[in-house]
Amino acid sequence: MKYAKVYFDDVKVGDELPPLVKGPIQQIQLTRYAGAAGDFNPIHQDDEFARAAGMGGVFAHGMLSMGFVAQAVTDWAGAGAVRKIGVRFVGLVRLKDTVTCRGRVLGKSSKDDGHLVDLEVWAENQRGEKVVTGKATVSMPLRD
Amino acid sequence: MPIQINRGVRGKEFPPFVVTIERGKIKEFARAIGDLNPFYLDDRVGQASEWGDVIAPPTFMTTFREAAGDGGDFLRELGTDLSRLLHGEQEYELHRPIRPGETFLCRSKVVDVYEKSGRSGPMAFVVRETAVTDRANELVATIRQVTVVRL
Repeated sequence: MKYAKVYFDDVKVGDELPPLVKGPIQQIQLTRYAGAAGDFNPIHQDDEFARAAGMGGVFAHGMLSMGFVAQAVTDWAGAGAVRKIGVRFVGLVRLKDTVTCRGRVLGKSSKDDGHLVDLEVWAENQRGEKVVTGKATVSMPLRD
Repeated sequence: MPIQINRGVRGKEFPPFVVTIERGKIKEFARAIGDLNPFYLDDRVGQASEWGDVIAPPTFMTTFREAAGDGGDFLRELGTDLSRLLHGEQEYELHRPIRPGETFLCRSKVVDVYEKSGRSGPMAFVVRETAVTDRANELVATIRQVTVVRL
């Protein structure tokens, strides 16, 4: 079930997040994201500009892929749970690509300010090539 | 022909700017990602939640831009332009969720500039950090961004 509540007690190191599949990426989504994010770099909109820049054509905003990865995390851990998320953009996402976001539990810790779960997160394209790699930390509730 | 970037921008502090969160902007942003989480989109779900309102998705602060500028001045100062930029890394450290109507102060600075050779030739890395504080002057988030300039 989507948005099921996950408790700190039930999470184990090595657990995998349910994969989140996004795409195929269409130009209209990049245009819509540009407007929503305020990032109007023509390299994501104008194929001629992107080719002249030596990029071989338009590609998706890295931040759109990061948004997908963050969604995979919050679909599992809950909205508002993310304390930290950091990624590296390691490959370009092109039009028609499908992006699958994944994650795995690296560790758990309890501190004064809550119960934290550390995750490895990444996104890969339809050929299994990683396009985003990173880590995230989420705060989770205890079972009563 | 390779370009030179101005390493003198290291330590540069940008003029602080203020952002007020708009309800519609949160929803527009979530929908653009295709993230239909009701805690971002449904006011009634937000009101009934522990936060008392809808909240913004984790990467929403990417919308925090100075309304007055397009970043072009900084790129000129750096000695480059948009066509040479790639986004290298991005990190958000979030101390609490943010809601519509809240006003934040954003203070950015260049914390590092370095050069390296990658698969596609020489590149410069510009590392920027932004501190986001609320009206009580509490730190709400720290943003770290690495921009890659293809030289």
